[in-house]
Amino acid sequence: MSSSLDSYLVLSGLLFSIGTFGFLARRNAISMLMSIELMLNAVNLTIIAFGAFEQPLHVHASVIALIVIAVAAAEATVGLAIVIAIYRNKKTPLVDEYDSMSE
Amino acid sequence: MTALLPLIPILPLGGFVLTGLLGRRYPDDAHRIAVWAVVASWVVASIVAVMALLHASPFGTGGAGITLWTWIPANGFANGFNASMGLFVDPLTACLLIVVTTIGMLVHVYSIGYMAHDPGRWRFFAYLNLFMFSMLTLVLADNFLLVFAGWELVGLCSYLLIGFWYPRRSAAVAAKKAFLVNRVGDMGFALGIMAIWTQLGTLNMQAVFARFGSVPHEWQIAIALLIFCGAVGKSAQFPLHVWLPDAMEGPTPVSALIHAATMVNAGVYLVARCNPIFGAAPEVMVVVAAIGIFTAILAASIAFTQTDIKRVLAYSTLSQLGYMFASLGVGAWTAAIFHLMSHGFFKGLLFLDSGSVIHSVDGEQDMRKMGGLARKIPITYATMLVGSIAIAGVPPLAGFFSKDEILGRAFKNGFLWVWAIGFVVAGMTAFYMFRLMGMTFWGPSHVDPEVEHHIHESPRSMTGPLVLLAIPAALLGLAIGFPPETGLLHQWLAPVFASTIAASGHTEAAYNFFGIDGALAIGTTALVAVAIVLAWRFFGVEIPALGLRAQPRPDQVRALSARQGLSLLYKGSFNKWWFDDINNKLFVEWGGRVAAAAFWFDRTIVDGTVNGIGTVTAGAGMRLRRVQTGRVQNYALGIALGLIVMAAGYLYLAVR
Repeated sequence: MSSSLDSYLVLSGLLFSIGTFGFLARRNAISMLMSIELMLNAVNLTIIAFGAFEQPLHVHASVIALIVIAVAAAEATVGLAIVIAIYRNKKTPLVDEYDSMSE
Repeated sequence: MTALLPLIPILPLGGFVLTGLLGRRYPDDAHRIAVWAVVASWVVASIVAVMALLHASPFGTGGAGITLWTWIPANGFANGFNASMGLFVDPLTACLLIVVTTIGMLVHVYSIGYMAHDPGRWRFFAYLNLFMFSMLTLVLADNFLLVFAGWELVGLCSYLLIGFWYPRRSAAVAAKKAFLVNRVGDMGFALGIMAIWTQLGTLNMQAVFARFGSVPHEWQIAIALLIFCGAVGKSAQFPLHVWLPDAMEGPTPVSALIHAATMVNAGVYLVARCNPIFGAAPEVMVVVAAIGIFTAILAASIAFTQTDIKRVLAYSTLSQLGYMFASLGVGAWTAAIFHLMSHGFFKGLLFLDSGSVIHSVDGEQDMRKMGGLARKIPITYATMLVGSIAIAGVPPLAGFFSKDEILGRAFKNGFLWVWAIGFVVAGMTAFYMFRLMGMTFWGPSHVDPEVEHHIHESPRSMTGPLVLLAIPAALLGLAIGFPPETGLLHQWLAPVFASTIAASGHTEAAYNFFGIDGALAIGTTALVAVAIVLAWRFFGVEIPALGLRAQPRPDQVRALSARQGLSLLYKGSFNKWWFDDINNKLFVEWGGRVAAAAFWFDRTIVDGTVNGIGTVTAGAGMRLRRVQTGRVQNYALGIALGLIVMAAGYLYLAVR
């Protein structure tokens, strides 16, 4: 474990950026959901890092991280269900072919 | 007794509804319901009128009414505006009831024969019944709002009946003209009613009259002027007189009923009914007298040269209505109602006669194509002669008494100018009436030879009403107007006008046979006699029973009308003093230009603005909808960019 807060923040920033890039660039719906998980976990890492280095935030950070994990689980469930439903309809996981709402 | 009142208007209303609904299916019997409805209404109205005229209970001298229901409840409007559906009868109403229902009934009977061959006769009778309902509502109403409703309804009926033969363009145009010109006056009347409401907070006539003294004087003048404005429109006084002659495009019974005997009298009735209002505004009385007497001489001068038999009578009606207004203006209220009644009967008679003449010569209305009809249609001729003598003012027929009373009152109440003009008009009236008689009935025939051999007297349903109308035209004056100024009519109407006359300060001096009144009567009669003899000299006469016989002298008429100085007068009279041309120029042409400009402004500026906003919005929408691609990653990119911008902004602010 590094003794510097900055290294954690840099790591989580990198993770968040990778997640964002993946969400915007990948066309596969499943990959996009995975990118979302990546972003959520980057945020979680930030929170936990702050909790570990800042004594007053110690307990709060753990609680918030747990809540984020719970929400992420729920989000992943619903998101996957939607993706599967769309997949059954469209026979494709590619989001740029989900364009029936334009025009 | 007052429970009978609603029956009077409701009977013709029922007739209208039934005739209107069933008439098309039974065209041959279309007149039956309508005629009987009016006869029944006449019976009820006669009973009511006689009771009211005799000041019998429950009418007494002040009249009595009945409130049927609350028309507009007071809690409906914030300012408590309210009106009741109420009918009211006093001696003045009774006089009008007699004129309206009697002439209305006779005209209905006459129409059976006159309209016998018209395919739309069921429509005609339905309209006539609707008119009777409207006119009776107007007369019986106890508040101004109901009067106004009746006022508009008679205007509507007038429109429908003038335009009865609507395929004929001139009829349709005349109907529209009458309606539009009437609107001008009605506007004033409506404003007057509003003014009454704002000043007194009630529209009930008796309440208004009782409290009118408390209104500020400027408002008294304004209200009187506005009400008179309505009367000017409906009674076709200068400058709104132009519609009445054109209204002759309607069937002749309509001209007799609406445009001679009843509706055009509504204005006179209204002013007489509102005598406490006008009595409180003596300035307006002078205006009334001036407009009345000016219309009288203006219309009489036009009647001199018209060649259409009905138009001569129409201008004569204008002139006589002018007399009535002059009479109201000088404070001779009873004389005005007297003239209204006698004029209703003899002018109704004259119009029905003219209809009979037109009927007999196959629809020809030009008097230059008549002549010598006296022997061929004797009943029409005899009754029309009675009517002409009556309107000319030959004693002892009805017109003499009523006209003499007006002139005498004008003279004695100090309106010498009214008297002087009225005196001249009396002579003119006699002249143009006997010009009409001469051109139509006497002298050589100018009838189309093809029509000539089947000239026939009208059927009995037409001649019957003529004879029945000739009786009051001849005897009404003696019956209710004699002795002058103390006759029956004056006794009947005295309570209606008593307080106004008392307040005006005109002394009701006793009628003096051997003084000023006798002298005035003799003077008028002499002038009338001269005028009649002159008319005989120019246009011929032929009454064998009296040994009168003179050939018409068309050469003299031509020479006289072409003489220097007179020719301009002749042209003016012939062209109705160019009023129609002035109106055409002023309102149709210039008004049309204003309307065209307004139309352009509306189309380009107003509509342009509205449409422009619409176009811009729609165009913007068309372009902006491309932003909504429906692809989730585009939106996500938007969110990410937004986030970056916000973060950058925050960092920028935090670092600085």
